[in-house]
Amino acid sequence: MSHSVLVCDDAIFMRTMISDILTQAGFEIVGEAETGVQAVEKYRALHPDLVTMDIVMPDMGGIDAVREIVKLDASAKILMCSAMGQQALVVEAIQAGAKDFVVKPFQPSRVLEAVQRVLG
Amino acid sequence: MELSQYAELFLAESREHLQACNQLLLEWERSPAAGEPVAGLFRAVHTIKGMAATMGYAGVAQLAHRAENLLDALRRGGRAPDQAVLDLLFRTLDRLEQTITAAVRGQHAKPADDLALELDRVATGLTERRISGPVPPIAPAAPPPPSAGPTQPGRVVRVVLRPDAQLKGARAAVVLGRAAVLGAVSDVQPAPHTLETDEFDGRFSFTLDSAGAADDIAADLRTAGDVAAVEISAARAAPDPTGERRQGELGRGRHVRVDIRHLDALMNLAGELVIGRGRLAGVAARRQDPELEEVQSAIGRLTGELQGVVVQARLTPVWQLFDRFPRLVRDLSRELDKEVVFRVEGKDIELDRAILDEIGDALVHLLRNAVDHGIEPPEERRRRGKPREGNLLLAAVRERNSVAIQVSDDGRGIDRQAVLALAKREGLVDRNAEALPDDLVLRLVSRPGFTTAEAVSEVSGRGVGIDAVLTRLRGVGGSLELRSSPQAGTAFTMRLPVTLVVLRALLAQVGDERYALPLTHVAETLELDAAAVTTVGGGDAVILRDRVLPLVHLDRLLGVTRSNGMPSRRPVIVLEVGDRRTGVVVDGVVGQQEIVVKGFTAPQGTLRVFSGATVLGDGMPALILDAGGLV
Repeated sequence: MSHSVLVCDDAIFMRTMISDILTQAGFEIVGEAETGVQAVEKYRALHPDLVTMDIVMPDMGGIDAVREIVKLDASAKILMCSAMGQQALVVEAIQAGAKDFVVKPFQPSRVLEAVQRVLG
Repeated sequence: MELSQYAELFLAESREHLQACNQLLLEWERSPAAGEPVAGLFRAVHTIKGMAATMGYAGVAQLAHRAENLLDALRRGGRAPDQAVLDLLFRTLDRLEQTITAAVRGQHAKPADDLALELDRVATGLTERRISGPVPPIAPAAPPPPSAGPTQPGRVVRVVLRPDAQLKGARAAVVLGRAAVLGAVSDVQPAPHTLETDEFDGRFSFTLDSAGAADDIAADLRTAGDVAAVEISAARAAPDPTGERRQGELGRGRHVRVDIRHLDALMNLAGELVIGRGRLAGVAARRQDPELEEVQSAIGRLTGELQGVVVQARLTPVWQLFDRFPRLVRDLSRELDKEVVFRVEGKDIELDRAILDEIGDALVHLLRNAVDHGIEPPEERRRRGKPREGNLLLAAVRERNSVAIQVSDDGRGIDRQAVLALAKREGLVDRNAEALPDDLVLRLVSRPGFTTAEAVSEVSGRGVGIDAVLTRLRGVGGSLELRSSPQAGTAFTMRLPVTLVVLRALLAQVGDERYALPLTHVAETLELDAAAVTTVGGGDAVILRDRVLPLVHLDRLLGVTRSNGMPSRRPVIVLEVGDRRTGVVVDGVVGQQEIVVKGFTAPQGTLRVFSGATVLGDGMPALILDAGGLV
């Protein structure tokens, strides 16, 4: 059975790209969110196996969304999507409960490695 | 991975973000103390940076990165930007747009080094001021706290990350996070905050209080990724908690992006279906077969619904176009030393995407005209007892069958005397004429090349501009109206069909041909009373409800020869564009039909009275008459 994924990013471009990478690797994208608030709501509704989370989003950023999701489900598996230069924010997200991170620009192989690590 | 497939999506989304940035920047300029615009700007520029880096557009990503640094400094500093900073940001947005467009087209953009340096310089200045001030520096968050109490005895774990690991500090945090699951972590070396600096080389150590076997711990820590080596001093064992997962139900996003070409193709197919429906209805009516009629009725209904959905899918709110105008008006008024309050109304009104694309240039013309020629310089306004700031309004209003878009100003109005004098000189009006009604002024100023000498500047020449506007509008079945009063201002109103491709039309017969007249402009039909025809201003006319109705004989205009002779009773179709009316004399009215407008390139020398062509229900082609050209 393929793993279900919730993709959170405020850019459709990024969501499309992540979805394409994961879909081609056999994952099922069960939902997308473009704000932190939506990410939390959709996590509550969908309970996906994996969440990819952008850090900078309107209406609650990715780090606060991680905190809220971890409150809902301490075992949530969240992969942060970060840009270069966001090290401090990534560290904060990891401390908030995110399991791993990938750095934009994405290389599909790195994304899939990170996903495998998160899903264990 | 093939990136080119994402280029269009990247371009479209980047442009949206840039447009939003322009809006936010204008908002910030109006109220520099507000905090929201800078947060929104930061996010949008950050998003562009991430997308550009992913596409491999290094130039765009670097410029966006610089802009992001400056915005970050402004955001954290919490201070209002001065005009120089705002101008710098405006210029940066323009440059981003240029480099993005160039990158997507595969062109080499001129590097933005000068701008990047300026951004860096301003950002550095802001940061230094901030640090020297009372604001505390932003400290990176501490690593996960070990369980309370003094350092417990445990094993020392040494980790070396791979040299090519990205964000080594963050990777170290992931390793520490894994370790914290196994047991209490303490005594992290080097100090946690130096892990996040560029000097961190990927070697760190910590004390772990865990009962796990060394090999298990090492194996677990390696799964944190990018770990080259783990070294542990002693050994015990610990459980590895695993969480439960539940499979979620499906729930996808409710919007998708569709290439406009697919929508065009769908619209054309739906249009063909409408034509087919018309033919089927004709066949069913002749055969009088109940079964056929039933099928025809069902297919007719479905076709209508399908067409409705496609039309709906193509509708686009006008803000997608309007949102770029505040920036335009701002730049223009600064350039021309005008003070302008620009308001936009009716932003949620929707139009067919293709129509919206067509009217963009026309609106730019009208707005430029208003700022350049309509609104007076502040000093002149003051002398005339007007407020220094001129008002400029762009408003969209939904009317019965159309959408009206108005550009109005409270400036000096069109100089009728100048227009009149010029018109007389060129013999366009009677030499004794003393005043010009609005519709005549519009017709005069919209003649190609017509311009009053003082109305020409580098920004816009009114005559040429309005001509261009009219041509574009007629192409999509729209019309233009003018209201102008001296010293009170000028208003241009465009009337546009809501949808482009399918419209209801009246079919008229002239000779052996049928012509379609869009119902948008048909006011009524009358029967021509030959005895009532009089001559007004050298042309035929009738008096209709105390008003002169000029007549156009379509047969004469089109040079039609009849095989069956002139019919005895002839209808007049009254067309109305704005408050101008004209009666079109035809041989007969065939009926109403939904017609599908086909692309139409008029051969050289064709009369300017056709706006397109269509295929009628019986499969025969017909030309569509342009009301604007006839009235």
